[in-house]
Amino acid sequence: MAHGEDVKYVEITYRGIFQKRLAKYIAEGLVYMAREMGRSAVSFGRYGDSPERNGVPAKYYVALGSLNEEELIGYSTRVEPETVDVIVVLDDTLLKGVESWAWQGVQPINLKLKEGGAMIVTSTRNLEELVKVTPAKEFRWDMGRINVEKSFSGLWAFKDDMTMERVWGAIAKMRPDIVDLEHVRTYVKEHKKDRVNERLSAVEEAYETLVVKSMAPKEGAEFKYSPPRLLTWQEMMEGAAVPAVPRGGRNEQFKRGTTKTERPTVDFDTCIKCKLCWVYCPDECFDETKDGYYDIAYDYCVGCGICADVCPVKNCIVMVNEGRFKDYRRPYEMWKEDKVAYKSWLKQVREGGVKERVVVPGLGR
Amino acid sequence: MTELVQKEILLNGTQAVAYAAMYADVDVTAAYPIRPYTEVMDTISKLIADGQLDAEFIVAEGEHGQFEIVKHASLTGARTLVGTSGVGWLYGMEAIVVTATDRAPVVAVIGNRALDDPGAYGVEHNDALMVRDVGWLLVWVDTAQEAFDTALIAYRVGEDSRVLMPVGVSMDGGFLTHSEQIVRLPPRELVKDFLPAYNRGKYLVHPDNPISVAPQVNEDWVSEIRRQHDEGMERARTVISEAYESFKKVFGRYPGTTRDIKMFENPFVEPYMTDDAEVILVGMGTVSKPIKVAINKMREQGIKVGMLRIRWFRPFPTQEVMKYLSGAKVVCVVDRDYSLGSPFRGGVVYHEVRSSLYDLDERPKILSFIGGLGGREITVQDAEKVIKIGLEARDTPITRHTYWINVRGDPW
Ligand code: SF4
Ligand code: SF4
Repeated sequence: MAHGEDVKYVEITYRGIFQKRLAKYIAEGLVYMAREMGRSAVSFGRYGDSPERNGVPAKYYVALGSLNEEELIGYSTRVEPETVDVIVVLDDTLLKGVESWAWQGVQPINLKLKEGGAMIVTSTRNLEELVKVTPAKEFRWDMGRINVEKSFSGLWAFKDDMTMERVWGAIAKMRPDIVDLEHVRTYVKEHKKDRVNERLSAVEEAYETLVVKSMAPKEGAEFKYSPPRLLTWQEMMEGAAVPAVPRGGRNEQFKRGTTKTERPTVDFDTCIKCKLCWVYCPDECFDETKDGYYDIAYDYCVGCGICADVCPVKNCIVMVNEGRFKDYRRPYEMWKEDKVAYKSWLKQVREGGVKERVVVPGLGR
Repeated sequence: MTELVQKEILLNGTQAVAYAAMYADVDVTAAYPIRPYTEVMDTISKLIADGQLDAEFIVAEGEHGQFEIVKHASLTGARTLVGTSGVGWLYGMEAIVVTATDRAPVVAVIGNRALDDPGAYGVEHNDALMVRDVGWLLVWVDTAQEAFDTALIAYRVGEDSRVLMPVGVSMDGGFLTHSEQIVRLPPRELVKDFLPAYNRGKYLVHPDNPISVAPQVNEDWVSEIRRQHDEGMERARTVISEAYESFKKVFGRYPGTTRDIKMFENPFVEPYMTDDAEVILVGMGTVSKPIKVAINKMREQGIKVGMLRIRWFRPFPTQEVMKYLSGAKVVCVVDRDYSLGSPFRGGVVYHEVRSSLYDLDERPKILSFIGGLGGREITVQDAEKVIKIGLEARDTPITRHTYWINVRGDPW
């Protein structure tokens, strides 16, 4: 008998716009491969605003199983499946939490992973470093890393850098029950005829060099998450009205900080208190301190980089890869506590963490 | 300016609403011309120019802008009047729909007009009916007096804190928008007793009451928003009844009439000789006029026929329709609109009536008559013919569901 439990799900978490097509193509390939393996399969994007917003965490799914296709679609006509077997993370900064739908709060990246499930991350950082920011689970699961730069193969331009092939190779390695190497090869040969040899080597390379770590129960970072209780129709204000956030306050329910791949770092020693960062930040992340500096609420910063662009002092505000930070501590606090330590910390996070930023999506950088 | 005595004045339907808006002391109007509603704004601009009314008169760049203006004004506590017709109503539709969602009790005159092409100016009800499912209260009037009275009621009902919804006062283009009739205006002082000041309470958009209305919310919220709206629509039934009661008390007559006539006492519908009627015609707007004449003629011959005129279409008077039509053998719904591709190829009102009667143990036969589209007349003779077809259907099995009144090429 066919049951919903027979359905397996692959979740692909990506950054809206920048990686939408990449995620979709990965899913598409998995569907074809699964069908070649004699199973039915469908894919669906987790519909919402996020896929079309710059950098906002978004998701794509593949459902596959031994059910016939109609039943599979019946089980998969959902916003999200309840649990997933494999998670593909297309940007390592997503490991720190995703807030992707209906203000359900910032969720751990592996919230839906089943016991014994696999998570595959594209990252150039080593696994030990990644484990430190990856939320712990109560049970055993496996984490794999494909050694590549994150690929901005997005909505408007598809930069075909073979991230797809690498992801397929990695899934074949970790979960041959989803797709096996042979079927990945066949699919690539039949469907991706240009540069086919290069693609096949990308598959093989990912398959051979994938670093996998078995995660023990409770291993990894602590991540407190409980879904917020959303209001009933009797509790909500009528007419799509919502109470405003009080002046000087922030909406606890709506932190968009998971959107960022980089965060602004501030050198308070060189700041001239011109206030431009405060004026320009579109998300009102800066708080004026008593002594006239501008502190940042990183929970709300979306990493747009506008503050860094407008700051008139060279290297005063610098955007740094989000992966280099463990927490959301406010920089001013740290600076006040120990200015010398702050300076050396600043030097350390900026070193190697500063990249030319993607300013215009679609250029295929 | 204060008038303490009742006075009679010749007004057409649109002018009557403009006068009601003056009596209601509206704060903001937004205008964009389209026949046949236009004269509402002609009149109101004149009343403002003459110093009879102190209100903002904003000329919009089109209907979309027009409805956005009044929606926002209404959310900030301004009493507003707006209006349009036909495709203008549809052009404003995005703003019109969210006016309801955002619970702005705007009052709009809809001078019913055919939806182009071919550029007809005549009445057809499909324009107003476009909002039947999105949370507008909709009322049809059949005289200038009723237009005046109903506009006052519209403010009272829409602005009630239990409702907070826009109201469309619909009237037949040409037959009412452009026909002058004597309207009895109440003493202006008394209007204040009937119509309290508009008070949005905690829903007022104001710096001292920091709320935002319709920020971008996630799709996940929509079910709750619709569900709430649904309760408001249901509460509107009570509020409408209260408003008609209060109208009678304050002005000493039933809305829409110059006297207090027992027969007219239901706010939602007007039953006309329905008590013993075997055949009952149902319709909205000015079609009631020739139908009533035909009924009078038939009654002289001893034929038991009556009419149920539907005033409030949203909320739909389900209980009233059940009550007044349950004794009939045949119900003939005369629609000045059509629902293309619908069950049995009928009109919009026909379907609502048919659905309302479904739970009756003994259901009358129901026929759909489509007539007067694009401003074509429905004459007394046509109404007589509808009655005749109804009488035939009483005695023989139904062979046909829908009849087009006077359409060239079909037997009639
Ligand atoms: S990067 Fe700067 S400007 Fe952009 S949201 Fe963050 S703090 Fe504000
Ligand atoms: S823009 Fe730069 S210099 Fe100006 S206040 Fe902000 S951090 Fe300081």
